[in-house]
Amino acid sequence: MSEKIKILYVDDEPENLVGFKAALRLDYQIFTALSVPDAIKCLNSNPEIRIIFCDQRMPGKTGVDFFEEIRITHPLPVRIMLTAYTDIESIIDAINKGNIFRYVKKPWTEADIIWAIDEANKFYMANSMLAVKNDELQKAYNELNKFAYSVSHDIRGPLSGILGAINLARLIEDVDEMKELLLLMEKSVLKLDTYVLSMHDYYSLQRGELKITEIDFNKIIDELKTIYATNSKTNNVSFKAHVKQEEVFLNDIAPLKLIISNLLSNAFKYQDKNRKDKSVEVNVEVKRGVATIYISDTGIGILESHQGEIFKLFFRSNSLEVGSGFGLYNVKSALLKLNGQIEVNSVLNKGTTFKVTIPSI
Amino acid sequence: MMNIEFSFIIIDDSELDCYVTQKFLERTNDSLVIETFQNAEHALQKICETHAENDKAPTIILLDLQMPMMDGYRFVEEFEKLPPEIQKKYMIIILTVLSSTSDPNDIYRILAYPTVNSIIEKPLTKEKLITLLEQVRSEI
Repeated sequence: MSEKIKILYVDDEPENLVGFKAALRLDYQIFTALSVPDAIKCLNSNPEIRIIFCDQRMPGKTGVDFFEEIRITHPLPVRIMLTAYTDIESIIDAINKGNIFRYVKKPWTEADIIWAIDEANKFYMANSMLAVKNDELQKAYNELNKFAYSVSHDIRGPLSGILGAINLARLIEDVDEMKELLLLMEKSVLKLDTYVLSMHDYYSLQRGELKITEIDFNKIIDELKTIYATNSKTNNVSFKAHVKQEEVFLNDIAPLKLIISNLLSNAFKYQDKNRKDKSVEVNVEVKRGVATIYISDTGIGILESHQGEIFKLFFRSNSLEVGSGFGLYNVKSALLKLNGQIEVNSVLNKGTTFKVTIPSI
Repeated sequence: MMNIEFSFIIIDDSELDCYVTQKFLERTNDSLVIETFQNAEHALQKICETHAENDKAPTIILLDLQMPMMDGYRFVEEFEKLPPEIQKKYMIIILTVLSSTSDPNDIYRILAYPTVNSIIEKPLTKEKLITLLEQVRSEI
């Protein structure tokens, strides 16, 4: 065991305290108090005390009263009473009220006390484990709530838009007008599809384990070049990519691709439509076991006050319809998994550069 | 009063929804003045800069609630800070998706604003729009 269990013993007779401490101090860290106020002081300054022993008969307050009081103010430590048989009525009452975990009868033997400590410690551990699990559950539940709300809005929003469009289509006779409507409907459907795909990314990132392989950045970037060739041509955005990799890089390719393609997709998505010299640039360098990736664009930029928020789930910095609020959150989760870092440097109406560093595993 | 025609401002972050609402409105009367905004802030700015004539019928604002940046709630809050003589030239009608997960309190909250007239649930239909226009006409 790494650290001794901390125990408080409260008794108004100093020789009892000394005896208790002498018998047990080798295996446990013993705190003692001669009165209830001293005991409370001790509990306040030592919150990691796990077990409290208390004598029933003390001037002023009885042990039962003391336990009843601290049950509210200090609920974590396990409460054990030390007493003679004569006090049995009040002890039974206190046990039934849940104020006492158990009692040890006086005069006690060392074995009685050690056994009581063992049991109490098990009880304490189970309780605190439960508290930790409860906390985790509460967090997961909160996230689920937020998730359910956003999913229902982000999926039902486009769906109701498409339904509205169908209602409208029934009234349209002009073919060109119908085509215009279909084009907008298509955009909505594509957006919905992207949303579902990133939701899938979100889940696989939360759950999956790492699958380590050798990474060839040239191959990844070539794939992305093919994917973005059409986009680059139709929207008149020049796309340059440069890779410098002379050493082996080991990592999980799925989150790595997710990071690069999300950032790249944003770089193309948030271009300034009115600008002439639109460009997107990717630079990858692998050196001394670290991959550094720069992705720069000449886009609309991110408000400085938003730059701290952009990695939050469902945050959208922009009123453009295209964002789902998933992309950068997924990037951040993927980086967390790969032990990577991200920095953003952005000037409104000038462009944005993301710098990503990921260590080889 | 039957021949009063309104102007409209549509505020919705979805391009498709703006388009659909606009086309529905145009079908009820093709001489309507309709402006659409995908960004509520821009709409608010426009409202501040516009000096409508006093004898005109109020402009109806069709407002979506869930939008990035400035959402419908914030728009209404900001709108109610404008001078009363501007406010009274507009009537806000919420056009939004209601779902089983929406908190009913959110709906009561938005209806509690004095400048918010009513709520229509998306998706929009011709019938919903006609009912709305009749109701608005009867209120003026």
